Amino acid sequence: MTSLSVLIVDDDQALLEALPEAMRLRMGGVTVETADSAAAALDRIAERDYDAIVTDIRMPGMDGLKLLDEIRTRKPDIPTLIITGHGDNDLVVHALRGGARDFIQKPIDRDYFVAALYRAIREHVAARQIKERHEAMESWADELERVVEKLERDLQAQPGRSES
Amino acid sequence: MTALAGAEMVEAGPSHLRALVETLERRLHARDEQRRAMLHIMGDLNESNKRLASQRKAMIHILADYEQDRRRLAQQAERLDNSRRALLHILQDSHKDNLRLEASRKAMIHIMGDLQETTIEVKRREQELRDKQEQLVQAGKLATLGELTTGVAHELNNPLNNIGLFVGNAVDMVALGAIDKERIVREMERAMQQVRKATEIISHLRTFGRAAPYSRDPVSLRVVLIQALSLMQEQLRLRNIQVTVDLGGEDPVVLGNPLQLEQVFINLLTNARDAVADSSRKTVRIAVTVDSEAAEITVADSGPGIPPGLERRIFDPFFTTKEVGQGTGLGLSITYGIINDVGGTISVVSPPGEGATFVVRLPLAPPDTKEIPRQ
Repeated sequence: MTSLSVLIVDDDQALLEALPEAMRLRMGGVTVETADSAAAALDRIAERDYDAIVTDIRMPGMDGLKLLDEIRTRKPDIPTLIITGHGDNDLVVHALRGGARDFIQKPIDRDYFVAALYRAIREHVAARQIKERHEAMESWADELERVVEKLERDLQAQPGRSES
Repeated sequence: MTALAGAEMVEAGPSHLRALVETLERRLHARDEQRRAMLHIMGDLNESNKRLASQRKAMIHILADYEQDRRRLAQQAERLDNSRRALLHILQDSHKDNLRLEASRKAMIHIMGDLQETTIEVKRREQELRDKQEQLVQAGKLATLGELTTGVAHELNNPLNNIGLFVGNAVDMVALGAIDKERIVREMERAMQQVRKATEIISHLRTFGRAAPYSRDPVSLRVVLIQALSLMQEQLRLRNIQVTVDLGGEDPVVLGNPLQLEQVFINLLTNARDAVADSSRKTVRIAVTVDSEAAEITVADSGPGIPPGLERRIFDPFFTTKEVGQGTGLGLSITYGIINDVGGTISVVSPPGEGATFVVRLPLAPPDTKEIPRQ
């Protein structure tokens, strides 16, 4: 895997300083970008593909659940993790139904966070690999079919082989 | 005599006769004198008789008068007797009245005693009521606090989370043997900042939760409004409620207890927050204007407004339009009580199709009073 890139979305400036630092310390080589609102996040997502997105659920303007919806329609492959407050069980269920890969409760346990993020990325990468291989296989199968068709056509075109 | 005198004349001579005549003449003279005296006396008697007759007549008159007087006196005596009897009756009646009066007086004393007891009882009840009212204000405040706490728990969770991350980062840096001391210090300083933020939130809640006795101290309205907004702003922000605040150019000093006044505006903001929950446009406008007597604060929301006919009832205790468990129904009645206590007024206008606007008027403190700094 080449360098991983993750987008963190939260309206709390202090968290946007603390969490990326923690990720740089714990997940060597990861590239962390930040957005302080859902709208800013959508701009970033339009510009590049991330390996994962981590968003707070409670934000003014567009909240985490709406952002999740937008990501699902624009970039359905990118795994999205939701940060929720303590006791926001309803919101967690909502988020998971809405396609969130996982949820992280505040206060964030860094070990749990890193593990969840890695797992989400791994699954994403694995899924992507499976999809790529699947696509490759399909293209190979297509290719194979084309070869077979061509061979059949060639065979029929041979005058000596035609039934007399 | 005459017979005697004749005999003597016969026996005696002329001398004798002369003497006899002389005697007879003397006697005659005497008799004449006697007769004349008799006539005098008769005349006098006659006079007296006449006088007596007229006196008798006068006497009869006097008697008649006397009789009349006597009759009059008898009548008067009778009347007096009647009066006396009437008086006796009256006296008897008055005695009875006196007895009755005495009884009434005694009854009155009893009633006075009862009244005094009742007055004491009423005073005791009044004190009780005042105590209850203060308890109610405190209960309402704790209810508000309960609601606030849910919101604040989230607010507190953020700095707490950040502290964990910053300190964790510092721990990691030390564990990884980072040589860059400044990076570690920077993480710790950021953690300290978050500790301060959390402390602020908690200390504010603690101040608000304190029992605030009724008082009429000079208070800066601006400070009260800013404090109330700072407790509410995170909740309003997270609900996408746009808050515009126009505190005006002046800093009016009003009378009251700063914590109670703060509760007034927290209650009004909480109401506004809930009112706009389902509105497409969520705004709350706070504006302050000052005239010569009072500061007027309006809190207007873009919610559905107050149904006609409920404008007065909304200030009744336990009246709520919210779902069961959503509100105590005490907020506005406590708000009303606090404002009433400081001599202010609160009213609401809610034209159909527009949101509700609460108008609070708080009397200004006399210009020579100085604001008591808040601890």
